[in-house]
Amino acid sequence: MTEKKGLGEVLTAAPSDELRLPPGESELDAFMPSRRMTVNLGPSHPAMHGVTRAVVELEGEIIREMKLDIGFLHRGFEKSCENVTWTQCFPYTDRLNYVSSIMNNVGFALAVEKLCKLDVPERAKYLRVITSELHRICDHLTLVGAMGMELGAMTVFLYAVEARDIIWDRLSELCGARLTSNYARVGGVARDAPEGWVAKTAKTLDRVTGYVDEIDGLLARNRIFIDRTRGTGVVPREDAIELGFTGPCLRASGEPYDLRKAAPYLVYDRVDFDIPVGTNGDNFDRYLMRVEEMRQADRIIRQCFEQMEPGEIAVQDFRYVLPPKPLVYGTIEGLMAHFKIIMEGIQVPAGEAYSYTEAANGELGFYVVSDGGGRPYKLGLRAPGWPMLAALPFMTKDSLLSDLIPTFDSINMIGGEVEQ
Amino acid sequence: MNRLIGMVVLIGAVVAGLIGLSAVFYLAAGGLAYVFAEYLGAPPSFGAAIANVVTLMLVVMMISGSLLTVAERKWSAMMQNRIGANRIKVLGSALGGIPFLAADALKMLTKESAPPRGRTRILYEMAPALAFAPVFALFAIIPLGPPVPLGSIIASAAGALGSAGVALQVASPDAGLLYIFAISSLAVYGTALAGWASNNKLALLGGVRASSQMISYEVSLGLSLVGTMLAFRTLRLEEMVVAQGAAVIGPVPALGILLQPVGFLIFFASAFAETKRAPFDLPEGESEIVGYFVEYSGMKFGLMFLAEFVEIVVLAAIITAVFLGGWHPLVVSTEWLRQTVTPLWFGAICGGAFLAKMIVLMWLQLTIRWLLPRFRFDQIQKLCWKILLPAAIANVFVTAGALLIDPSMQLLAWIGVATIVAVVAITAAVGRAPAPGEHGAAHVVAGH
Repeated sequence: MTEKKGLGEVLTAAPSDELRLPPGESELDAFMPSRRMTVNLGPSHPAMHGVTRAVVELEGEIIREMKLDIGFLHRGFEKSCENVTWTQCFPYTDRLNYVSSIMNNVGFALAVEKLCKLDVPERAKYLRVITSELHRICDHLTLVGAMGMELGAMTVFLYAVEARDIIWDRLSELCGARLTSNYARVGGVARDAPEGWVAKTAKTLDRVTGYVDEIDGLLARNRIFIDRTRGTGVVPREDAIELGFTGPCLRASGEPYDLRKAAPYLVYDRVDFDIPVGTNGDNFDRYLMRVEEMRQADRIIRQCFEQMEPGEIAVQDFRYVLPPKPLVYGTIEGLMAHFKIIMEGIQVPAGEAYSYTEAANGELGFYVVSDGGGRPYKLGLRAPGWPMLAALPFMTKDSLLSDLIPTFDSINMIGGEVEQ
Repeated sequence: MNRLIGMVVLIGAVVAGLIGLSAVFYLAAGGLAYVFAEYLGAPPSFGAAIANVVTLMLVVMMISGSLLTVAERKWSAMMQNRIGANRIKVLGSALGGIPFLAADALKMLTKESAPPRGRTRILYEMAPALAFAPVFALFAIIPLGPPVPLGSIIASAAGALGSAGVALQVASPDAGLLYIFAISSLAVYGTALAGWASNNKLALLGGVRASSQMISYEVSLGLSLVGTMLAFRTLRLEEMVVAQGAAVIGPVPALGILLQPVGFLIFFASAFAETKRAPFDLPEGESEIVGYFVEYSGMKFGLMFLAEFVEIVVLAAIITAVFLGGWHPLVVSTEWLRQTVTPLWFGAICGGAFLAKMIVLMWLQLTIRWLLPRFRFDQIQKLCWKILLPAAIANVFVTAGALLIDPSMQLLAWIGVATIVAVVAITAAVGRAPAPGEHGAAHVVAGH
């Protein structure tokens, strides 16, 4: 009778388990035979954001081996998108990285627009950049706050959440939702900024900057925090490139690669901002990247506010964008365009395209294939968090169990996008 | 301005309340002492001790321990821009969250106990009690108030009985501080056994962490108080408190914190580690290993949880007695006070002063807990063995040398003042320095 073995049992039942000699000792010496302890962290464990399972093999408290078990949040994103129209994919993209949903919207919209060869109006570009950068701040605030909380500094988390909350208030004024804000559309954005929104957002940013400074003051000079994060979870530059890191984690390792600079899209070539680069690639550098990027995002948004001019927020081509309601109800052409888009979907020319944007965690890629119909023929996603999560066993090998926590936090694994 | 007046009035009311409370304690102790002596022929200290067990250990310690659970919620809420516990309303008022005390107790008591399979039955059931009992017993030797003649409390006590002293202290063993070390070292059994007996790997890790941490810190905890024992030439807490009333530099009293600033810091850090609260909450480490009590539910968990809060109270009381002058009010001269008011009110004011100092220290502990992140396992050991322990040993030698040269403690006091000034200066200088630069963190490159 063969018994089905779980992942944990397979790990403990290494063949040399009983006879594992400490290095440098002969078997004639009286040594203490020790077994490794397999601990199952997750899927519901406070340190595993969302639902990830880590099977950790411990020697004392040192992680000797680690296996990640993901998929608890798998929703079949790519396949689901094949069954709905291009427009209906947008809500699905919200749920990828749910702390910075508009970035996913924008990435997907850019992919479809690449196929359609659409150029969106200036104001829409600015609005996309502004909302993306607002969400970048949200994403980094979540990371920094969660990192503080899981290292025991609960206060930091609540400051971060409060800052995030007031940004969400502004975003909900823009697009009606707080968490799964759905703003970008093929050909533009959903709504224009309401009256006075720009001034209000600038004021909000002032307060957010205050919170960021306060959080930074509580953490960056805190001896315990520095000890916990400095020199832990180190990824050297070469390894980071090998492992496919992108975004803040790659930059923390010393590689100044940011798609907003390397391949500017939307209006990133028109605003002046810096990209922070670390040197050591440890958790502390990754934390500092996040804090500095929040400040740079603030700069970008303020410049966009100055440069932005009134105008159209979507292309005036009713093959791609829903006509305004007076046209739908008043003219036959408007009604037909509305009907076609709703019932058949946007007719995207046949072909394939890959759009890459710098999301909060790195390169967010959408690979779309169209057969000329109203629905995606095939859709592929490059989730920014995935290479970092996959590297977690490498980063935590031979470190203490406690180091797993800041390392897991600083790569900012978001279940929604990694597990699709 | 209104706010300031309100705060002054509030502080005044709190202090007055504490003084009144101490007066009630004295009356209870005196009354019971009189009853026992008069009708049962027992020595007056017998009745006073029984009354003190009830008033000090049940009222002061348990009630402030449970109030601290509410205080922690409220204070952390204030620090974090929240409102805090306010959902339970009595007659439409949240009463500062105090009804949560009853709600928590009810919740703990009525929750299902879900013992894990494969536990070591006896140890599993015993562990919460083992964690709680030593902490509880520690409070017995805290001298909350000075001895007051029984005759001034109970008018009908006369003669030898009337002149017998009644103090707000349950017991006064010769061993004094050694009793504290002995009993506090028992607390490790509760946590270690809880981790072991639960048959849970995470709880086991927590138990191992707890035992290594608590045993390590016991060493520096003990050595940090050797200096005060040398300086005050006694082990008894009440004698230490009396000794702290004497003037040492001009009118400045010989407070423990003045004579032993280094000892104070080491003791505070070590004792904080013994309480197992953040930043030393590795045994719990709720985000990594969930804690040694992960398999406990209901009141068994509640007991462990409460033990931590009671430890806060005990730590505050010990520091007050050893380092902050105990029941000496400090704002007014103790001698002047003794001659001005009746002995009962003198005792009550002193007891109020002790309680007020304790409250400040408890507040300090809550603030630290909510400000700092958690240490790592190896860092906490490094802190103990490489920093606190050598410093404690050096402190012992410096103290002994200073006392050998100048037995009047003046030299020691000047050394203490110099240390305090140095510590404050270094803290101020380091606190204003820019963030560590050699890490090369976040240098900004301006695009390609």
